[in-house]
Amino acid sequence: MLKIEHLTKRYGDVVAVDDLDFEVTPGVVTGFLGPNGSGKSTTMRVILGLDRPTKGRATIDGRVYGELRHPLREVGALLEAKAVHPGRSARNHLLAMAASNNIAPSRVDEVLEFTGIASVATKRVGTYSLGMNQRLGIAAALLGDPQILLFDEPVNGLDPEGIKWIRDFFRTLAKEGRTVFVSSHLMSEMALSADQIIVIGRGRFIAQGSVDELTADVAGTVLVRSSDQARLAEIMRSRHATVHDRDDRALSVGGLTSDEVGEAAFAAGITLYELTPQRASLEEVFMGLTADAVQYASASTEVPRGA
Amino acid sequence: MARDVTLASASHAEWIKFRSVRSTVLGFVVTALLTLGISALITSVIRGHWTTMDPLSRLTFDPVSTSLGGTLFAQFAVGVIGALFITSEYSSGSIRTTLAAVPQRLRVVAAKALVLSVSMLIVAEVLSFVTFLMGQAIFSGVVPTASLATGAVLRSVILAGVYLTLLALLGFALGLILRQSAACITVFTSLLLVVPIIVFLLPQSWQDAFSKYEPSALGRAMMSTTPPAQMFGAGTATVILVIYVAVAATVGSIAFLRRDA
Repeated sequence: MLKIEHLTKRYGDVVAVDDLDFEVTPGVVTGFLGPNGSGKSTTMRVILGLDRPTKGRATIDGRVYGELRHPLREVGALLEAKAVHPGRSARNHLLAMAASNNIAPSRVDEVLEFTGIASVATKRVGTYSLGMNQRLGIAAALLGDPQILLFDEPVNGLDPEGIKWIRDFFRTLAKEGRTVFVSSHLMSEMALSADQIIVIGRGRFIAQGSVDELTADVAGTVLVRSSDQARLAEIMRSRHATVHDRDDRALSVGGLTSDEVGEAAFAAGITLYELTPQRASLEEVFMGLTADAVQYASASTEVPRGA
Repeated sequence: MARDVTLASASHAEWIKFRSVRSTVLGFVVTALLTLGISALITSVIRGHWTTMDPLSRLTFDPVSTSLGGTLFAQFAVGVIGALFITSEYSSGSIRTTLAAVPQRLRVVAAKALVLSVSMLIVAEVLSFVTFLMGQAIFSGVVPTASLATGAVLRSVILAGVYLTLLALLGFALGLILRQSAACITVFTSLLLVVPIIVFLLPQSWQDAFSKYEPSALGRAMMSTTPPAQMFGAGTATVILVIYVAVAATVGSIAFLRRDA
């Protein structure tokens, strides 16, 4: 169980993460969704003990990262920024990681084979394409066969085939009972690959739930076409619904269910041609939830790390 | 059940990393070329001019430190090897992988220092002995030579290798503090080249007081069979240089512990 406990991280005056508090449960793929600069990578770095939290902590089964006996066997991570020396071969990179955590060298060949980069494993990493780098990152994350896996923006640089592969791969890992925590700024990607989603913006927790729960929270609208649009609109407004005229002569009614709209039309003797409940997409929910966060995003980007 | 992440496993990992990049191999090649090449040049020139050299120079001539002269050029190469061992981790971002694998940061520093000092000591000692023997071979017949059978001579040759190893560690410690290759190499060369120039501009009495503390002056003292004028003896010089490295490494380790990776 991965727990983020009232985590705050400040870089000087910039608050990158502000009192985040949530749990990531095993057995499902958990998406970590937020605009760029919302604190996702910072949270990942704190989990791995790379950055020291200003307040709060991140724990793995009750222990902070530095207390793990063989960290790579308990937590595997694919970090967004490159974390490999360009002059070293993939194989040597993984061999060094394996040696540090007493992992058998034969495991290096296994993960190289699994991620499909075995044929280029002796080449210098600096010559790799973005996609090959991502595959190496995944190989590194899997090296210790850990129960908890963190992926920071994993689909960046992958081709469509690779994206499909990685989605299936997340599902498989989750089915095996592992904790799979995947960050992304792409809601469409999260809608397809995550079971649970945690939304953050400007370093703050915004929402948590399944895709269905998150979209249900935001009431959808009802699309109506009828024999008397003007009168129907008036009736809807009298019932405190929000009504928008659409270009295609249909009305978009918010605040009422399709049942309520249908019954109101029937009572007024208006014939309905169309009555369609419109589900809010995750994208709309995300935009709505993070609207404030995005407004400020250009002013307070995540502090550039590394170099 | 397997062992914990120990200093041994961390060192094994650092050894794989150290030997698997070109910059390390290249650094050692440059170190060897400078040590052997410059020493060969110096000793050959002296052999050629020996008969025309003034009597005082011939009287105070030290065949040991002269034959090890290339070491004072190779010191720049070993400083770069030491610095890059840590700064390249920052420039490439691999420090994140390193610390995710071994979160105990002091253990990372210790493992790197161990790998660096052992490999550097082996290479530098081999180079020192080869350079010394090469120099004596070039001298033989014309210029007086020294023998490893003499205690002070053996000590000087051994300390030449120790000097290079300590300077590699100094470069590494600066790397921990500065984290950037360019900044680190600049500071390192400034310490060795610019500080002596500044000291040279001071009044004579200050020069006498300060110049013996310069790293290269300590190096020359370590490689001399008898202490040169205004310099420390070999033992004291070694101790002072060890203190420099220890202070720099302590500051570097504290910085490494405190900063975000």
